[in-house]
Amino acid sequence: MMPIYWIAKNTFLEAVRQKFFNFLVILAVVMTAVSVGLSGFDFGNSELKFIADFGFGGLFLFGSILAVVMSVQLFFSEIENRTAITLLAKPVNRSAFIVGKFLGIWLLLGVFTLIMAGMLAIVLAVRQPVLAADALSHGLPEPFLSFSGLAIFAFLQWLRLSIAAALTMALTSFSQTYLYAIVVSFCGLLIAQLQYLLRDVAASEQSAIVAKICAIVVTKCLPNLQLFNVGQQLTLEKTGVPAGTLAEIFGYGVVWTIVLLIVAVLFFRKREM
Amino acid sequence: MAENSIAGGGVPAIEISHLTKDFRIGIRGVKLRAVDDVSLCVNSGEIFGLLGPNGSGKSTTLKIILGIFRPTAGTCKIFGVESAFVAARENVGFLPEAPYFYGYLTGRELVRFYARISGVPEKSLDAAIESALEITGMTDAADRRVKTYSKGMLQRIGVAQAIAHDPQLVILDEPTAGIDPIGAAAIGECILSMKKRGKTVVLCSHLLGQVESICDRVAVMDRGRLVVAGTLESILTQKDKMNFCVSGLENFSEADIAALGEFMRRRGAKLEEITHPRISLEKFFIENFSKGDRK
Repeated sequence: MMPIYWIAKNTFLEAVRQKFFNFLVILAVVMTAVSVGLSGFDFGNSELKFIADFGFGGLFLFGSILAVVMSVQLFFSEIENRTAITLLAKPVNRSAFIVGKFLGIWLLLGVFTLIMAGMLAIVLAVRQPVLAADALSHGLPEPFLSFSGLAIFAFLQWLRLSIAAALTMALTSFSQTYLYAIVVSFCGLLIAQLQYLLRDVAASEQSAIVAKICAIVVTKCLPNLQLFNVGQQLTLEKTGVPAGTLAEIFGYGVVWTIVLLIVAVLFFRKREM
Repeated sequence: MAENSIAGGGVPAIEISHLTKDFRIGIRGVKLRAVDDVSLCVNSGEIFGLLGPNGSGKSTTLKIILGIFRPTAGTCKIFGVESAFVAARENVGFLPEAPYFYGYLTGRELVRFYARISGVPEKSLDAAIESALEITGMTDAADRRVKTYSKGMLQRIGVAQAIAHDPQLVILDEPTAGIDPIGAAAIGECILSMKKRGKTVVLCSHLLGQVESICDRVAVMDRGRLVVAGTLESILTQKDKMNFCVSGLENFSEADIAALGEFMRRRGAKLEEITHPRISLEKFFIENFSKGDRK
């Protein structure tokens, strides 16, 4: 276990020192902050919804970019600089290398999610009392906001980004070039995010048989990231999301992360460096 | 071919038997044989030189020894353990060719990182790091970031990370590539000090003068095959020729040379050349330039 810990720690330190991470964090935080100014002049829930949507979107968009680019970058830098050979010449097996790399990136994504969720929480906390007072003065219901729901959502987003990082690791473990790994990973992530389209094709009786089979295979081979789109319900709706559903989403995320990491390890074991 | 192992008890540090490695190239998977039926043995406590031109299969052989490549055929054992197992590498230190290390770490942090990876326990960590830095002469520069190091310093910190966990076997792939003779001599001294401490060193180098001066045995590879292996004595000595080194001889005339030639002819031999001995350029360089303050 110790090699995994040290590889993860080193990966995390290497990642946070990269300008790309800092740039992305600043960009995401600034975008969340300015969402207040971009919102309309409606009263009540709609502005909070706009800010929350903007924050959730930024979290997933920039988080996905971070998950893909950092996973590919940190993996290929080890291969191209041959530091992977120095590491694997130690009593370290290849699965420890992959898991260590993943955990370092996973921790980085956790920091990113925390910063983004914290920023969003601050923006929502500043605007909510103002909007509540305005809504009451206009005889409208007070907008609902749950910070605990936001925290749960942030945790689930971290899990969603973990799947993105694990998917990238799986694809990168056999890729020969940086560009190929980046492009294929973003394509995989896009398909995982737009699974409902494929599910529609698979379910439709009007679809051609080949398209149907392709859609079924792809939906089985890639995770459905749309399951994690529960930000609205958790943060802005009193009904929230049942604990059972949350547990299901959590389990789904953990299982897919583990499966994709196993795939990454299997490919990496066969890789010749 | 000379012998590929010397007599001696105990488990060999490295035992390679009929090792073959093929690579598949391109979409059609054309086979490229990088190592072809190589068998050799490295004994514990010796300095072993693995030589050969570029592309001769040395680095591939080293990577198979380190478990980074899987052989297509044959076996490779380190101290009796199959090199594919992680346990085989617990007693191995490795310096790769043209090493690159995490530039944002200091030399001390780098050695600490690799020592921890290699399983050095916390209580003996500091002593292990200081010892490795001292042996490689990197103590004074240990708190500088690795990205500020010169080529020679990079090689030496590479050696330090390789020996931080006090392995019994140290494999050095081109440790002197691209560094000046004084830096190369410093690494040579490191290797000799490892041997004094009972370590086995496998040295892969193009610096033949150094290999000749420090290696107990060598193996030469070419086009994936083992061409020759054995002690330098057995490989390099021309048993059918003799050198005489004479001092205090003055006014040695042409007539004297002719008389000497005649003497040799009467003994059934031929006087081939008479020269003055000279030191190597490497020795001249090392003896005439200061080693001081090379940080």
